[in-house]
Order: sequence, then structure tokens, then C-alpha cells
Amino acid sequence: MTGPVLLVDTSDPAVAEAAALLDIGEVRKVASRELSGAIAEGGGTFAVITTTDNPNALRDIVTAARSRRVPVIVGASGETLRRRAVEVRPDDWYRSPAPADEIAARVRAAVVRSYGLQSEDSDRAEVNERQVALYDSLTGLPTLPVMIERCRQLVKERGELEVIYLSFMRYTKLEEIYGWEKLDSVLETTASSVQHVLRESNIPTTQLMVSYTNDDEFVVFHVPEQGEDAASDTDVTRLAAALQKEVGERIEQAHGEDIAALFDVYVGRSHVHYNPKVRLQRLIYRGIREAANAARSVEERERARRIAELRTVIRDGLVYVDYHPIVHAETGSVYGYEALARGMVRSLRSPEVMFDIAARADLLWELGRMCRQKALERMDEVTRDSELLFINVDPHDFADPQFDEASLRAADPRRVVIEITERTAIKDYPRMRERLQSFRDSGFRFAVDDAGSGYAGLGSIANLEPDFIKLDMSLIHGIDGNFIKQNLVETMVRFANEQGAMVIAEGVESEAEYETVRRLGVHLVQGFYLNENKD
Amino acid sequence: MVAPAVYAPTTGRRCRGSGAFIGSGFAQFPPVTQDEEVPVPDSESGRLPPVLVVDDNRDNIAIMRDYLRVRGYPVTVAYDGNEALRMFRETKPSIVLLDVMMPGKSGWEVCRLIREASANGGDEVRIIMVTALDQWEDKRQALLDGADDYLEKPFGLSDLAAAVERNVAQLGGPG
Repeated sequence: MTGPVLLVDTSDPAVAEAAALLDIGEVRKVASRELSGAIAEGGGTFAVITTTDNPNALRDIVTAARSRRVPVIVGASGETLRRRAVEVRPDDWYRSPAPADEIAARVRAAVVRSYGLQSEDSDRAEVNERQVALYDSLTGLPTLPVMIERCRQLVKERGELEVIYLSFMRYTKLEEIYGWEKLDSVLETTASSVQHVLRESNIPTTQLMVSYTNDDEFVVFHVPEQGEDAASDTDVTRLAAALQKEVGERIEQAHGEDIAALFDVYVGRSHVHYNPKVRLQRLIYRGIREAANAARSVEERERARRIAELRTVIRDGLVYVDYHPIVHAETGSVYGYEALARGMVRSLRSPEVMFDIAARADLLWELGRMCRQKALERMDEVTRDSELLFINVDPHDFADPQFDEASLRAADPRRVVIEITERTAIKDYPRMRERLQSFRDSGFRFAVDDAGSGYAGLGSIANLEPDFIKLDMSLIHGIDGNFIKQNLVETMVRFANEQGAMVIAEGVESEAEYETVRRLGVHLVQGFYLNENKD
Repeated sequence: MVAPAVYAPTTGRRCRGSGAFIGSGFAQFPPVTQDEEVPVPDSESGRLPPVLVVDDNRDNIAIMRDYLRVRGYPVTVAYDGNEALRMFRETKPSIVLLDVMMPGKSGWEVCRLIREASANGGDEVRIIMVTALDQWEDKRQALLDGADDYLEKPFGLSDLAAAVERNVAQLGGPG
């Protein structure tokens, strides 16, 4: 009787090593185009690994393997090949090059899954659920239980394990502002660039794996090579710097500066010593907790440093103001500008980051006062004739005793629009309306910012009787292809028309989005699409 | 080139005249091809994209299936959430019509799972929820679960055709 055969079309030594890890006696290498034929011949094929970049060959291989019920694992180098690979739905795939143990684990999982299918066809849904639980569907990374299983043997042999914990800051904020689709794609970018950085890093290792545990946390397990020291603190610090730089750059390339500005990574590490008396899972989970705490303490120190920077910014007036044009949807002519204050200190460039830190440090009022003053200072320079200036005011600012009509030194209050975000819950509506009324009496107008970002719907907007309704970016992103978003915006436009308010679509990034909001009756538009296309 | 989608507001519209309403409990099998003439959408290959219809009501499914088949769509059906996920994996539909109120897994849960699967590099799929989304928050939730469109019950068959067609027109487009 012949043993199981692994059919491959690659001479990648990691694949041969994976076969050895799996105890497969024979690895048979065949040309990619002949692989489907070899599968059809049958005879103890355990699994197939292909790294072909020929889509037709790939399709034939998967089809042949499916009819023989042989699992296929695709090694894809590069994003195009990965997408092409998942299109043909192989049993599993990995990013090539990959370490032998990862390839082995993918093969093992694919084989288990395909046997599962053979034995109980009716339970495919359950098999799939199990698969989803083992690998994160978005990033394709293994989950913790899978990782622990994989390194169990190695940890026993080497006696130690290094846990490196990566915490990505403000990813939840990102979702809040741009919607889940954006966060999903940022996570994909993050996962692939983290893997890239790890591969390039000089930490001597036999085992570097990444698992995705939560929306903004990744864990790396690192088992030092026999005879080598574990990664030193310097190595880990260097890794953190490399991640901050390279992942940040990739995110900026793929998703733009504003999103990259929200990016921040904190790295913590811990050391796990193998102890046969304690369950390995528990040891590892403790290690993860320690590494997470370490990451948090780095984060605390960093935050303290930024708060100190923020105090300097406020004391010395170190902000500059960007003026973003808001145009008529129909004519494209400028209607006004939104003033956005940015810190001059590099780490406080993003307004979201700056105000986030101010909120934590209880410096919102001070920062708000300075930003408003700066924004209004240059109003005459920036706006012409009847053009309006939109300034952002946090709902908390209305509790600031120093914030009143007189403190806003505007030559013509009727040309100033105060934007209030819907994201911060307003607790005391009657009092808020009272404050708004006194501003209104002096001629100021109001906009509800980020409208539709919450679940509150139209009621809370009506309460504020705004002159302008600024739609949340997450409703605009991809609106040309989503009829529910179109319906929501249409509802908002109808509501605004009834209330005598104007609707502003913020975050318009493409012509298709622009055309769609215009067709739906949105009055005013703001976004990159305009910045790029303005004459 | 993908034909521009024609957006028809889905709220408050009823298809008077055809007499067939789905979801109101008195659905009758209508002679679909005679009393309604809606053009079949063009597609370059001449083949229409596959549609999966999910509903726990067998009468509704029969009407929707037959109506869409007459129009040339390859249609598969599923009667509950688990079956829907299985059929989704097996038939790889481009359009899924998903009823929300089902025993077992709700339509929302199925929607989320299908969206996750397609985000993980699967083929493009457009999900049309079959439900009334009256409230702002319902629609927000629908967006979070990954739906592309919805069809309000009770609906006439021309509403069904319009919903399917405007989503077919989006296939292969950006996003």
C-alpha cells in the first residue's frame, strides 16, 4: 500500500518542510498545467498545493480536485493572485511565501474540513461555522485557539514563548466616522502590512504568527530559535517603530491622509515559560494579558506626552485652520467654507486626535475657544461677499460660561454657521435650545453635523431646528451603489425641505457619489472630489 | 459599460393593477407574463445572473421563483436561514432576496453571514432585504448588516422586478 501523496506545482522548500511536518511520505511535483490531470488519475492524493499564476490552470485544478474530493490549498503571492485564488474557492489559501508550519496547518485544516464534508454532507453549514470560528473571515488570520494548537509542540520543546501584543488605536473611532465598510478595508490593509513587517523584521525566530482577536488587536507568538535568545526589548521597540512607520504608510497610500492620521499602534510584550503543571492555554492567555497591559502602559505614557503637547498648543496658539469649500450641488459654485483646525505639532495634526486628547485631558473648552478664534480671524480673507463660514462647536462648549455670542467675534454673524455634531449626545435639550436661541437672535445659524450617524433618526435633528443638515460621511460613501443609503438621504432631503433647511453631503469622493446626491436633491456638497476637481 | 441604475423609491409604492401582492397573506398566483410587460435587462453574455430567494412561506417563494424564472433568471430557493447559507455557498448567487422574519436564523443574521463570506474574497453579491423598513433606525441597522436594498412587503410583482433589475445593473460596478 502506498502512503498519502501531496501533489504540488512548486519547489518552495517550505512546502516540502510542511509535508514533513504532516508526516506525508511523498511529495510529487508536477507542472501546473498537468496538475489537474494528475489529480484525476487519483491514487492516494492527500491534498494539492498550487502556486500557479495561470487562472485557467487554477480553475482546472480546483474543478478536478473538487470532483475527486481532494482538498486544494492555494499559495498566493501578491494581492491580485490572492483575489484570483479566493474567486475559485479553494479549500484554503495562504500568502506565499509562508512558513512551513503555516502551510502545514492550512493543509491540515483543509483536509479535516473536506473529510467533514464527506462524512456528513448535511452538516456543511456547521462545518463552515467551524471554519469561520478558526479563521477570521476578514483578514484570513487564524484565531487564538488555532494558534495555541499550532505552537503547542514547539513551546514544549523550546520551553518558552514570547507574546507580542499590538493594539491599534482609534479604529473604533474610524468606524464611527467612516462606517464599517471603511474599517473592514483598513483592517485588511493592516493585517497584510503587519504580516509584511513581521516577515522583514530581524527577530530570530522559527515561529512568527499573527492572530486577530478583536477589532483593533493583533497578537504575535514568537518561539525563539533553538540556541538563540528571545527577541530583546530593543528588537521589540524596533519592531514597534517599523510597524508605526510602514503600516501607517500603507494605510495612507490606500486610504488617504485623514485616515492615516487616526492610525497609532502600541506594542507590548511578555514572556511565557513552559510549565508542564499548568495548562498551556492558561499560560498563554496570561501572557497575552500581560503583554496587553504592557501595551497599555506604553499608551498611557504616550498619552501623557501628548497632553503635555496639547497644553503647549493651547498656550501658544499652535493651530492652523484649513478651509474646506462647500459648493452648490447644481452649479458647483462656492457657497461657503468649513473651518477645520489642525494642530501644528505633528502628533496633533488630525482634528479628531486633537479633540480626542482634549476630551480626555478635560481641555475641550480651552481648545474650542482657541480654534474658534483662529477660524474667525481669517474669515474676511477666506470668504467673499455672501459666502458663509461654518465652524465646529462641541455640544459641551455650550456649557462653557465663556462661550457666548459676544465671544464669537464675527463682523457679520449672519454669515457664520455653527456646526453641532450629532455624535455627542445632548442631554438637556430644553436648555440647549435656549442657548441656541440666543445665538440665533444675534444672527448666527446652525448646522447639525454628522446627521444620520446615530440611530436617533430625524427626531433629534428636528429638536435643534437647524438651518443646515450635514449628512454623515458613512451615508455618502458608496451611495451610488446602495439603495438603502439613497433612500435614507432622500428621506433626509424631504425632511429638510419641509423644515426649510438645506442638506449638505460631506465626504463626497467620486463623480458617481456626486451625481447620486445631486439627483437625490441634496443642496450642497463638500469633499475630496471637489478639492481634486476645482479649477 | 454598466447601464446607470434607475432609482425607484421603494417606500409607499404599490403596484396597483397587477392584483398580486406578496406578504399580505392573500397572494394569488398571477398570470405574470400577460398583464405585465417589463423589459428583461440586457446582459452582455445574454445570461442573467443567478438569484437566490429566501422565505419561509412556500407560497411566496413559488410566486417569486416562477415570476423571476419566466423573466430568464436562474432561481434557487431556500426556506430557512441555514438552508439559505448552504444554497448561497453552493449556487453562488449574484442577487439574494432575503425575507427577514424566519424561524431559526433571522434574515438579518443570514445577511451578515453572507456579507462576511463575500467580503472574504467571494463573488460579488447584492442583498435585497424583503421587509418594511419604516424607521430610520431599521435602515441604519440594515446598512450595518450589509444590505444593499430592500423591498417592502406587501409588494407587487413589478416592484420585485424593479428591485432585482436595479441591483443587477449595479453588478460589476464600483464597490
